[in-house]
Formats: sequence, C-alpha cells, structure tokens
Amino acid sequence: MKNYSVVGKSVRRLDAEEKATGKAVFSSDFTLPGMLYGKVLRSPYAHARIVSIDTTEAEKLPGVKAVITYKNTPRELFNTSATMTFTVPAQKPVLDQYIFDNVVRYVGDEVAAVAAISEKVAEEALQLIKVEYEELPAVFDPLEAMKPEAPDIHANCKEGKNIIGEIIKISMGDVEKGFKECDHVIEKTFKLPIVKQVQMETQAAVAQVEVNGKITVWSTTQTPHPTRMILGKIFGVPVSKIRVLNPPYVGGGFGVRIGLSAKAEPIAVALAMQAGKPVRVVYSREEDFMASDTRHGGYVTVKLGAKKDGTFHALDLKAVLNGGAYCSFSTETPGVLGAMGLAVYRVPNQSYYGHSVYTNVIPAGAMRGFGNPQAMFPIESVVDMMAEEVGLDPLELRLKNIMRAGDPWCLPYPCQSTGLAECIERGAKSIGWERRGSLNQPGAKKLRGIGVGVGTHVSNSWPFCVDYDNAIVTIQQDGSIHLASGVPDIGTGTSTVLPQLAAEVLGVRLEEVSLAFGDTQSTPFDIGSHASRTLYAAGTAVVAAAEDVRKQLLEYAGNFLKVSPERLDIKDSVIYITGQELVEDCAGTGLCNTGEGRRSVTLQELAYHAHLRNKQFIGVGRIVPENAPPWHAHFAEVEVDTETGQVKVIKVAAAHDVGKAINPAIVEGQIEGGVLMGVGYALSEEILHDAKGRPLHNSLHKYMLPTAEDVPEIDAIVVEAEDPSGPFGAKGVGETGLVPTAGAIANAVYNATGVRFYEIPLTQEKVFRALKAAKNSKNSTS
Amino acid sequence: MSAKTLTFTLNGELTRVVVEPSDMLVDVLRDKLNLIGVKKGCGKGECGACTVIMNGDAVNSCLIPALKAEGAVVETVEGIGGPGKYHPLQESFMDLGAIQCGFCTPGMIMSAKALLDKNDQPTREEIREAIAGNICRCTGYVKIEKAVSAAAEKIREGK
Repeated sequence: MKNYSVVGKSVRRLDAEEKATGKAVFSSDFTLPGMLYGKVLRSPYAHARIVSIDTTEAEKLPGVKAVITYKNTPRELFNTSATMTFTVPAQKPVLDQYIFDNVVRYVGDEVAAVAAISEKVAEEALQLIKVEYEELPAVFDPLEAMKPEAPDIHANCKEGKNIIGEIIKISMGDVEKGFKECDHVIEKTFKLPIVKQVQMETQAAVAQVEVNGKITVWSTTQTPHPTRMILGKIFGVPVSKIRVLNPPYVGGGFGVRIGLSAKAEPIAVALAMQAGKPVRVVYSREEDFMASDTRHGGYVTVKLGAKKDGTFHALDLKAVLNGGAYCSFSTETPGVLGAMGLAVYRVPNQSYYGHSVYTNVIPAGAMRGFGNPQAMFPIESVVDMMAEEVGLDPLELRLKNIMRAGDPWCLPYPCQSTGLAECIERGAKSIGWERRGSLNQPGAKKLRGIGVGVGTHVSNSWPFCVDYDNAIVTIQQDGSIHLASGVPDIGTGTSTVLPQLAAEVLGVRLEEVSLAFGDTQSTPFDIGSHASRTLYAAGTAVVAAAEDVRKQLLEYAGNFLKVSPERLDIKDSVIYITGQELVEDCAGTGLCNTGEGRRSVTLQELAYHAHLRNKQFIGVGRIVPENAPPWHAHFAEVEVDTETGQVKVIKVAAAHDVGKAINPAIVEGQIEGGVLMGVGYALSEEILHDAKGRPLHNSLHKYMLPTAEDVPEIDAIVVEAEDPSGPFGAKGVGETGLVPTAGAIANAVYNATGVRFYEIPLTQEKVFRALKAAKNSKNSTS
Repeated sequence: MSAKTLTFTLNGELTRVVVEPSDMLVDVLRDKLNLIGVKKGCGKGECGACTVIMNGDAVNSCLIPALKAEGAVVETVEGIGGPGKYHPLQESFMDLGAIQCGFCTPGMIMSAKALLDKNDQPTREEIREAIAGNICRCTGYVKIEKAVSAAAEKIREGK
C-alpha cells in the first residue's frame, strides 16, 4: 500500500472550529439590510380547487410588503428536484407543478405567501387571506390510486392511471424460464413506510433581487448549480444573472434538497421581486415535515428462485411506490431500487418492474439510500427465508451467491471491485455469528437474535442521470493554493476531504489549500452533493485539476532548475530534484541554494518568479465520473421483549467496503450516522395520515427518531477494496450505512422470535400483536 | 403590552436589551444580540439546537420567555471558549469527529457543559441522558458521546 501524507489521515475537519464556536453561518442565520420575512399559507385539504382567494385584508396589514398567489407569480411548470436539470435523453423530466396553483393536491400544499417586516406580522397576514375551497375526492395509497375509480391527480399520466413518468423495466437472461428451472421459489410482498430525512436545519432561502434584475439566493440546497438552472426556468431569467450559494454551511441534507429546498428558493425570489427587498423564508419544523420531500413508501415484491444447493437462479422484483402529490425523484427512485436490488447477487435470470404513483400525500423524493433501503429490507428478508428453506447458514448462502468483481450484472458499468466477502467475514467476527442459535435460555421472556443484511450502492448517478464535475486549482502569487469546486458541504466533510486530495497530489500541507465551494459565482459547474458522489466524483475532478497544475509547475520548475521535469517531485511545498538529499528544510524561506547549483525551489518562490514573468499556474479538471460499487454487510443483535413487543438493538457491526478511506474518521461518522438512521427506519420512524390525508407525524415529538439514549453499540468496520475509477481508489459511503440496516434487524428479530415481518417499522405494537398472533395460532394447532 | 428592558449577564457581560413581552429568549439572542450559535431547529423545545445554560442549567431557549432571563446568568457557545482557549468540549468535539453538519453542535456542547459543570465523572448513561434532548441526525451520537467522555477526562486532569 502506498504511503500518503494527507490522504488516509483522520485530520481535523477544516470547518470544525467555526462549527464548535457557533460562528458557522447557515441559511437560517443569514440576514441582509432591509430584509423581510416570508411565510407560506398551506392547504388544509388533501385535494381541492381554489374557488376564490382574497388577499386585500392581508395586504392592508401594516408591515406587509408583498402577498403572492397563483394569480401574480410565474405560470411555469417545474420539478422541485434537480431531475429537471439532469434527466438523460431520451427520458424526459416530469414537470408538474407551479409555485402556486388553483388546485391543491395535499395537506400542506402552497396556497399563498406573504413578506413582512417580521415573521409575526407575516403569520398574522396569512390569517387574513380568505380562501374558498371546493373539496375534491382524494386518494392516499398507491395501489388505490391506480384503480380506475380513483381521482386523477394530474393529467398526462401516459403509462397508466396516476403512474408518474415512466415505468422502469430491467431484465437479464430469461426470468420466466429461470424460475421453471429452480427447485425452490419464494415470493413475498413487503410494505414500506413513508419516512423523513429530518435534517436539523429546516428548508431555508434568502433571496435578493437587484435593480438590474440580478438574483442572488443563499439557501440550503445540496446542488447550487442545478438549482440556479431551475430558478432560471421558473423566472425566465438567464442563469448567468443568477447566483445560488450556501452561506456556506448547510444543516444536513440526506437528499431532501437535491434541487430546490422544497419551495423555499422560488417563494423567496417571488416575494423579493414583488417587495423590492430581500426576503428570508425559513420553514418551521412542522412545514418541513408536511411540505418537503419524504422517502417513498409503498410495496415491494420479491420472487427469488434457487437450485437445490442454494445457487440463486432467478430473481424478479416489483415495486409500486407512493410518489405523493407531485413528482420529485419519482422516476429515478424506483430505478435505483431495481438496479441496486438486482446488483447484489449473481443471478443469471432477473427482472424488475417498478414505478411511482401519484397520491394526495406529501411528495416523495430523495432520501439517503434513494430506493435502495426499500429494496434491501425485502430482498434480505427473502434471502434469509431461502437459507432456511434450502437448509444453509444465511452467511454461507450469501457468500455462495454474492457478486464478484468482473461478474456480469444488470448495471451499465463494470463491477471492478468488491470487498463484500471481507465485509461479511469481519462483520460476522465482530458480532459473534457463531453464538447464533445458542443465545437464549428455554422459557426466557426476552429473546436475543442475530441477523445479517448486505448490499451495494452507487458512487454517483452516472449513467442514470447527467453527472459531471469541474474543478479549478489556482496557484496564488505567493505559492498558496486556491481550489474551487461547486459542491456544497452538507455535513459530510466535503470541505475537508477535497482539500486533502489536492494537498496530496500537489505535495503540500493541508493548510496551504483553501477551498471555494457551494457557490455558482466562484466555482465552475458541478452537479452537486448527493448520490454518495461528492468525494468520488467531485474528488476525481479535484485530482485532475491538481494533476494538471502539478504538471505545469514541474515543467516551469524544470526550466528553473535546469533539469527534466520527470526528475522533480514536490514535498512540503518544495519542488526538488529526486535522488538527492535536501540539506535543509526550505519551506517558506524562498532560498534553497545549496552551493552546488539549485536543487530545489519553493512553490512560493516559483509562483512569484512566474508572476513577475506574466504567468500564473491554473489547473483545470473536467471529468465525467465512472461509477463504482461500495459494498456493505451489517450484523445486528437484538433483544425482543416478548411480553411488551419492544425490540432493542444491542449491537450493529457495520462493515463497509468504501475503497480508499480518504479521511477514516469522517468515513466512520458516515457509517455510524447511517446505521442509526437505519435503526429508526427499522423500528420506529413513520409518517401516517388520517382519513382526510392530514399527517399524524409532523413534529419531532410525534416522529419517533432515535435519540442518544437509543444508540446501540456500533462497530464501524472500514474495508478498503480500492476501485481503480475513484480518487486514490475511493468509493462512495454517504448513503450505505442506512441501506442494509432494516434487513439485518428484521432478520435478527426473526432469529429471536421465529416471527417474520413483511412490514416496517417494527413498532412495539406491531411486534406485540404479531407475537400474540403467532402464539395463538401455535396453541390452536397444537 | 409594551417593550421592556431586559438586564442579564450574558457570557460574562452585563447586557441590556429591549424586548417585547412575547419575545422568546432564542429570538432575542439570535436576532437582537447576533448570537447565531444559538440555533433554531423547531421552536418548540423538541430538538435542543437552541440549548443555552441559564443559572447553571441547560435550557431550551425557545421555551423561555426572554423576560424570564431578567437577572439571570446565561451562557451560550460563543462564551465558553475560542481560538487559543477552547473549552475541553470544543476541543474534543473537533478532534474526535463529533461534528458533521454542525447545526446541533452548539446546543449539544451546551447540554454537555451543563452536565460536566456539575459532574466531571459522568457515566455513559448520564452523558446520554444529558444530551437525549439534543437531536443529531448526522453522527449517530457515537463520536459525540466519546467526545463528552474525553472532555470530562480532560477537565478532571486539569483540576
């Protein structure tokens, strides 16, 4: 293994000091002189036509500076997600919403907005807007919404009743024939809940419109450059006149703002245009819950066929997802669900059919894992059932069938690396897999169990979506280094690891590199921070830019030192002739004359030498990333209280093949955070709606996410099967911690109790009822 | 109801500020005194991002009417340390990877400080209980718990 000086080191995050002292600025902190505060009026009905809307009283309230509705805002269709800017032809993005419409399609849908001198005045004004609604029939379940009698939520559903965009179909081999050749076939349907990202900073944007029409938006977006394109389309303004940036910090993302931050940006811009003053729109936590993308819930069916010896031979997946009232990532999510679900195991005959369906609930979009967790809880449950049916240990069955590097698969890029077998081996050791089966004393009320779940993911979204990156490295006249990359840091450490890559390539200390990021004005186009791509893809552009400028530096230094550039290397900001010992540390001195001709030159001296001769070193990286599969195996040990139905997770051993870990502490943090989010997905998190479509879980007290007191022991195990396509061999890690967790926990619950669940979350009530039913049926048959 | 002058000790300095009786402490700290380290994640006392220490106890400043702070001693993250003299909690949060997006960090640090001010030998359960009202969605709390534990050790060594 190579020795690196900056890469592979758990250096302190470069944003740590600002964040630990309360100095870090987030969108919701950002203020401008004369700034107004925007608030949004939302629909109380799940589906209704606005018969009339009267804003005169609201406009008269002192302190109100603008009131906007569908009558005085652009009638330009858009999609709040970045899909509208990166859908690959011949597919077309679904554009199905306006800033405001005269029909509302879910409880929380935007009806009007007010800008006023304070949030209090704006809220008061909202109460004065008179709206008359005509209620329309509503539907909340995707299967119901596909029935002929269901209301049409949008026109132009070409593939079937309320079906959003295109139906995704994937196939390899002959699945029908394949099943006929199998000795064992298991088919089960699973129900998945609607869950929420619950990033700590709610959706927020501050918009300023200058007299000359130039628009600046500070916001929580994960994708400033695509967001600028969306705003350009909505407002009919050239994107060159729009600047979108983070200020620069973003309080989490988890997919909820890939594109617009719900509608914070366009509402802030429309209000700012109307008021002639800057406007800040910050969603309340309740608004964030009820009117900002969720994870898709829905139904997933797995049909798995195996030969007598356990060799998988045929796999068929079907998914019907709840897309909610408007299309966000509702065509891509079922695509990733199918593609990732089919990619984990070597199955010669496989097929997938999946889509989303419009309903009258909150729109579903991207959330960490992006369809993959919805695939893997069902798949890993069925794989466990198959192990039992063929009589093999679940680990043995998995090891027999998992993908190997070079195997054919359904994805449009090769599988060049996999550390999954190592993940399974190390995770099993950590959890003590051999204890499985002897965990409980006869008659125990609290039962222990151990389960496993495995999976893969992507390291960016190419070739499923448009996905490319640019980066610029500029050597300043004093030899210090400026790096520009258009990706935000949503908390995942981007603003630390990208400089780590540049510093490694350039042979300088990390402190020498400063980064401009998350800003369309100071960085070249980048598709953004999502899809586990930021380090892998934006990092590839950074490495390319750094290599470009390094080449220029060495060529210039070759002339300067009168040697061929191939003989030169850089260390600690000193370019030196290799094979000769440096007699002193020249860094920063500007003088390295050893007495027998120059052997080295500092970047500082070289950059200034070039400057005086009218030259600057500028490296450009322009790349289209390949893609690479990260792999993972989670092992969960649970304790089920059979008298109360409570499931407690004791430990999760989470082994992840991330390729080269550029900053291992950050990698561990990603895994640990993902695991706990996965524990919430498995056990407690869910947004339910009442009969009128009103969300029952719209606050942190009602939405049951894990707190510090719910954390199991988490063993984050980093496996480094380097992928040739990634920067220094790195792959994605941002999403994978969540992907296999629910499957591992559900399998552990089965191992403990003998009861199989086809629905998550495994709430206390659900488990209690299922255990009771199992006991009753056992009693009645015995 | 008319505006009143609130007088209290904020981060060691006697502070006077004009507030409305309906103002909550979080908004006065953020909007009138520019202490943006006091984050607002829910406004309902459910996320802990706005945690400050008032008269020695960690409180959700979004639940405290500003005038309740009359005569009180209030500490925010801005007052506990900075470059050159970081609080041990800030040091260990930075060094042990306990910070990701950073939005929960100030409130988390203040909850932990209220604990360590009273008890510099906390058990794992006491640490978890102290920060149970502070939601973090990024870290899984693993490195936060370790950072609090490490800071307690530093504080004990420094005594």
